[in-house]
Amino acid sequence: MTQELSSLMDGELESREADRVIGRCCGDESLKQTWRAYHLIGEALRGERPCASASTRRIMAALDREPTVLAPRRRAVASAGRIAFAAAASVATVAVVGWIGVQDRAATPAPVVAATAPARPAAQPVVAENVVPLKNVNEYLVVHTQVPNAEFYTTVADRAAVGR
Amino acid sequence: MRVLAAVLPALALVAAMPARAADPEPGVDPLTWLQRAAAAARETTYAGTIVHMQGARTSTSRITHVNISGSEHERIESLDGPRREIVRRDDQLQCYFPDAKTVRYDRRVSGRFFPSLVAGPVDALPSSYRLSLGQVERMGGQECQWVLLEPKDALRYAQRLCAELGTGLLLRAQTLGAKGQVLEQYAFADLRVGRDVSRGEVKSTFVAQSKSWRRDVQAPPVPARPGSAGWTVGAPPPGFRLVGEMLRTLPHRPAPVTQFVLSDGIAAMSVFVEAATGPKRTAEAVNRDGALSVFVRPVGDHVVTVLGEVPPAAAQQAGRSVAKSAEAAR
Repeated sequence: MTQELSSLMDGELESREADRVIGRCCGDESLKQTWRAYHLIGEALRGERPCASASTRRIMAALDREPTVLAPRRRAVASAGRIAFAAAASVATVAVVGWIGVQDRAATPAPVVAATAPARPAAQPVVAENVVPLKNVNEYLVVHTQVPNAEFYTTVADRAAVGR
Repeated sequence: MRVLAAVLPALALVAAMPARAADPEPGVDPLTWLQRAAAAARETTYAGTIVHMQGARTSTSRITHVNISGSEHERIESLDGPRREIVRRDDQLQCYFPDAKTVRYDRRVSGRFFPSLVAGPVDALPSSYRLSLGQVERMGGQECQWVLLEPKDALRYAQRLCAELGTGLLLRAQTLGAKGQVLEQYAFADLRVGRDVSRGEVKSTFVAQSKSWRRDVQAPPVPARPGSAGWTVGAPPPGFRLVGEMLRTLPHRPAPVTQFVLSDGIAAMSVFVEAATGPKRTAEAVNRDGALSVFVRPVGDHVVTVLGEVPPAAAQQAGRSVAKSAEAAR
């Protein structure tokens, strides 16, 4: 059944099959729990990083009120369900993913750390103005983290043009 | 008055006594917890799913760790993105990358592998961080003790580590920015410890099929005299010491690249020096993503790149201190 839930989340079920799974899911507390976990993990994996309690509340409310809002999602989130399934969604998983999702709880309001530009808090010395694109240092990133990624062994045609 | 003067030291002594009695017992001070966490990551047998968040990205992987006669055997399998598997035996790393049909052989020196984040001896940490214990928190049926590492300067980030009460194994770890914002974090989403984990689980699933793959063997750290590669990191940020110096081969690069690894005991950065290729860079450049900082600086016909889980200021300081070694200048 958890496999079916994962497929449902990934939008892989026919509508009649989906209805059956939704029906079963909403009548079973532990399956509801699993479904919630899948969505929390899915959101975390898509980088949505919601406030865990809010999304848990939202999903629970949706489950209680109107099961049909849980119609299968688009294929765009395909891997999320499978990964959630792989993570053997448990109460612990929900808690951890929720915890991971709670960002910046110590900060008010949550300051977004710039991913592309250098943030320059007044306390720190001013650093250079230019921004080096992260993709230009990917090979060094791989060597530093000691974990190859997808781009590492593939040829980048415009590498020479990009420079460093 | 004289009586009071005579009594005061005695009072002070009495006042001091309860304080002495309340001194940390063995096993409850932060350093001991960090030691326990480091030992548990090495010695315990465990398997679980790890959720890792760096900047805007979240990824999951499955780890299996077994200690066989004092030797660590570990397998880490990525659960999202392209398939990838890292098999570690103590410091020896083999990274299987089926899409590129490549297996990379390396020696662990700078890689942060949760839950073994505290890789070196913990003794050096108090010179760079104020250590304290936080709360005991319960999550998913497991209780863990928060250990807080607050930086003593702006050259490193705060770390919050949560060690499971029974084993000492880290269940969660956070790197925090100056405003307390979370830059990077790891957590076990599920965890099995001990007998449930079998030795077979640490073998690579690609052993047979990887026989025909390309082998990318990385040179071990340069054992020669420091600076023999032609460059030195003249003034590493305070608290950071050189833990490795080696030559790296990189795909698409004609010549090997010099890499220095600096660590303060928990945070690490790599300093790379290579001959400039492509368009000439004239100015310094930076970037950051989560806890990761990048600093690039041209030095004559070479380029220095610093990359690590440190604030930009630390990467900049290390990068600006890179110079030709006396040996090379001679």
